[in-house]
Amino acid sequence: MKIVAAKKILKANEQLAAENREKFDAAGIFGVNLVGSPGSGKTTLLEALFSRQGLAGRAAPAVIEGDIAGSIDAQRMDALGVPVVQINTEGACHLDASMIAAAVLNLDLQAVRLLVIENVGNLVCTAGFDLGERLRVVLLSVTEGDDKLVKYPAIFQGSHALVVTKIDLLPHTNFRVQRAVEDMKRLAPAAAIFQVAALRGEGIPALADWLVQRMEAR
Amino acid sequence: MHEVAIADALIEQVQSEVHRAGASGKVTRVALAIGRLSGVNPDSLRFALDLLVKGTALESARIDVAEPKALCCCAACGSRMEIEDLEARCRQCGSSDVAIEGGRELLLESIELEEC
Repeated sequence: MKIVAAKKILKANEQLAAENREKFDAAGIFGVNLVGSPGSGKTTLLEALFSRQGLAGRAAPAVIEGDIAGSIDAQRMDALGVPVVQINTEGACHLDASMIAAAVLNLDLQAVRLLVIENVGNLVCTAGFDLGERLRVVLLSVTEGDDKLVKYPAIFQGSHALVVTKIDLLPHTNFRVQRAVEDMKRLAPAAAIFQVAALRGEGIPALADWLVQRMEAR
Repeated sequence: MHEVAIADALIEQVQSEVHRAGASGKVTRVALAIGRLSGVNPDSLRFALDLLVKGTALESARIDVAEPKALCCCAACGSRMEIEDLEARCRQCGSSDVAIEGGRELLLESIELEEC
């Protein structure tokens, strides 16, 4: 006997992600899935984004922090006064939609407009798991090298924006911004591309404006 | 190692498809499609499945994996071609104005069961 299934293997996750998305839409919440390698600068980017020159006063943010262990990132969000829930995946290399569904129960969704999910630092495993976000934003720091788009295409292909981080370090690396931009255009022609140096605030207003535009367009 | 999570999801999905079809018995073959750009390594997935299928209906199933390639779609001449690597140019007209599509499939195609 043969059963023709022709179904996505991660269908269960995708169903849960769709439920998350419906829940967020109904509550007027815009979800962003922030992905990138460990050390690409995800938390530092968020700190800059939630500052005065970023989204302060414009987005009513909350953050879900995904880490294998610890709550260092959550403490950094807490210090900014941003509501935060920490998920410890206890070894798992990515967040999935069920973890998000459980985490949001710990947030006062009424007060939130922008929900940023900072994924586990990983360019491979995070690519396959829809969390219920409206935008996926992938970070690539210049110290990682400009070959990462070709080496890890899936995560870039499915993202709505590429943020090249730590551009203040460019003079010390052989990273070619143009190569990264060209590769991103082939993998995700519609994606927006930003260059930032979060510790200096460089490029943050443009990224913040784009996020607000995308939130308002919904 | 997200192949473990995927193997886990796959086993559950096969079991629920078999149940939904009102079938029972041992699964003899499972056919999958895992795109070259899916980020899933078929060998790692097989390794994870080997560990996880023990005691399930999939224990002695053959796992067949098709690996669909990505397509390079040229905006200049409109041609579409399968690609091995993430080439920068259209092989037809040489344009670099190309977009890469597909290759991200992660599908359970079919399940075969032993005849009772």
